[in-house]
Amino acid sequence: MNEALSLLQLHDLDLLERELKDDKAQARLRRLGLAMEPSNTLERARQRCMESIDRRWLYHYERSNQRYGRGVVAVRDRVCQGCHITLPTSRMPNAKGALTLCESCCRVLYWA
Amino acid sequence: MPTTLDPSVLDTALFIPDLRTRRKEPVLQEIVARAHGAGVVREPSLLVETLCLRERLGSTAIGKSVAVPHARSIAVIEPRVLVARSRRGIEWKAEDDLPVQLVFLVITPGEFSLETHHEWVARAVGCARLQRKRARLLEAATGEAGTAVLRELMA
Repeated sequence: MNEALSLLQLHDLDLLERELKDDKAQARLRRLGLAMEPSNTLERARQRCMESIDRRWLYHYERSNQRYGRGVVAVRDRVCQGCHITLPTSRMPNAKGALTLCESCCRVLYWA
Repeated sequence: MPTTLDPSVLDTALFIPDLRTRRKEPVLQEIVARAHGAGVVREPSLLVETLCLRERLGSTAIGKSVAVPHARSIAVIEPRVLVARSRRGIEWKAEDDLPVQLVFLVITPGEFSLETHHEWVARAVGCARLQRKRARLLEAATGEAGTAVLRELMA
């Protein structure tokens, strides 16, 4: 898995972990018959992801994650899905799947 | 965020009348591949990985031959409920030990709130709980017929 995909997986893992630790969410899931049990699976997967991500991206990811609750967001039609600012064309990367930083909110951007 | 299911959420292309595989992970891959083909998922392998991790935290089989795997993921572009049917049944570690014949995959983008995501999951579970509703989905002759039934049930 490449670095960008690892960062996206880290994002999904953090969403799952938050869901697992949210008592109200767990109560809702139990009522639906979809209870989740704490496990070290998530932590192991998280460690594996972090090993393949450059420290620079991890730093920005963790910082935004603490501040906004999500460290990486997708870009759609040149719009940051975190702060909804339109990004300048000059900041568009050459390749799909690249990572950059949003100049407005500093979240890590994933150019899908 | 809107919580009602508009018609596009139940796209005909997203009803799979007969799954090819009988094991959980290949089934998830098959359904996610369909969603990717319909343009609602950007990184299918990532979404499958997230769904498999969710399964490891607790089976999403709710009994009565129904499973509701679900994920909130950055890999999802548009929210969708995908329904897949398996004539032969899939081993899904259900509490009642019944093989799963109906899979409701609920996927929402990462920017959706947890509450909204769970509302979607609850709609899918509600649709699957009554025997007569399940029977109608199992008896639908084609993908189009299945989608029509689903649209009616989830309205």
